[in-house]
Amino acid sequence: MPDFSVLTDYFDVYMEGFLNTIYASVIALIASFLLGTVIAVFRISSVRPLRWVGTVYVEFIRNIPLLLVVYIFFLGLPLLGITLNGFVCGTIGLTVYTAAFIAEAIRAGIMSVPKGQTEAALSSGLTYVQAMRYVVLPQAVKIVIPPLSNQFLNLVKNSSVLSVIAGLDLMYFGDKVASDTYATIDTYLFVAAFYLVLTLPLSFAAHRLERRLAKHG
Amino acid sequence: MISFRQVEKHYGDFHVLKDIHLQIGQGEVVVIVGPSGSGKSTMLRCINRLETITSGELIVSGQAVNDKKTNINRLRRNIGMVFQHFNLYPHMKVIDNITLAPRKVLGQTKQEAEQTAMYFLEKVGIEDKANQYPSQLSGGQQQRVAIARGLAMKPQVMLFDEPTSALDPEMVGEVLDVMKALAGEGMTMVVVTHEMGFAREVADRVVFMDQGRIVEEARPGEFFSNPREERARLFLNRVLNH
Repeated sequence: MPDFSVLTDYFDVYMEGFLNTIYASVIALIASFLLGTVIAVFRISSVRPLRWVGTVYVEFIRNIPLLLVVYIFFLGLPLLGITLNGFVCGTIGLTVYTAAFIAEAIRAGIMSVPKGQTEAALSSGLTYVQAMRYVVLPQAVKIVIPPLSNQFLNLVKNSSVLSVIAGLDLMYFGDKVASDTYATIDTYLFVAAFYLVLTLPLSFAAHRLERRLAKHG
Repeated sequence: MISFRQVEKHYGDFHVLKDIHLQIGQGEVVVIVGPSGSGKSTMLRCINRLETITSGELIVSGQAVNDKKTNINRLRRNIGMVFQHFNLYPHMKVIDNITLAPRKVLGQTKQEAEQTAMYFLEKVGIEDKANQYPSQLSGGQQQRVAIARGLAMKPQVMLFDEPTSALDPEMVGEVLDVMKALAGEGMTMVVVTHEMGFAREVADRVVFMDQGRIVEEARPGEFFSNPREERARLFLNRVLNH
């Protein structure tokens, strides 16, 4: 039986971290989705320099550890005269890192829609943008939802990386409580529970959406 | 209506279309036949610029298809296309498949577009399927929806790219019947097909292609009873006597 006094005595501390983890996750989720979509469009663009930028971005970012990406922002930006706190740097790093994976998921989704769909749309007089919007993307979304929800879950969990640069997130305060109380196992069990409070509903919501979209076609 | 003059097309080192000359007039039904890989589909797909030509001149409704100044979206409105694999939009009901382009391209209201769609669905004999999804239809029904989708834009030309090749044999007839009826109404049609019976019965002109060239061009009666070219004779022997 875990020692619940570790939870009750430090509840405010957990909550502060919990809320910061939510903030960081929501901001990074929205930002990485937007950035990832742009990178995905770059990667399938017919303009070669754009394709190049997209490929370099994805291959570099997804092939270095997240911790290093975050360090680069935290330690690198001050060298350029920009000093931001751990929370902001961590959220930026998280966004930049996750966007690479999201870009790949979206690109794969678009590529998996048969070429004949675009051809049918274009041959009826729709513009390329209309063909994308009404024909290709609605079909790509269905394919993209499972890998995308995976990335979003990873993002929430990966936000614990903020703790190493004083990001004031859930993990950061968990470490604090653990070193204050020496009840390490109990503390980290409660921290895990807090993460589950965030990730389980997200996971269920993704499954429901998947099922709803799978009904047709 | 459609005019190819000295058209060439290369895919890298592969010379797909060689010195193509072809004139198609309004109301004509031209059937293109030939062995697979002879360039039939490629030639058809050049007409609405799903493929680009390397050189030569290709004019459709008075506009040079590959001219940068040509508004290709505007030109494509007037050219309906039916594909081998139907290419219906699986996430939309039959009726929405048909009304998408009239609404988004021609700016018709939903009501207007649905009226037109129902008219053409009736014409191809499946008005009762309007609210189903393509996956709930047989191949023959799907292809008839695809034809209705093309017609709903009231195009001046309809292109058919092997419209019956992906169908089960017992569904070929229903699609060919729709195409025959369309030809009877004076629609300009360019049809790539292996259905020699259709070519013989419906075509005003048969174009035989082999290895990227138009080898023979004749009225169907002439072409089938007395082909001038040796290659055409060999081809007909193979497809008709088996």
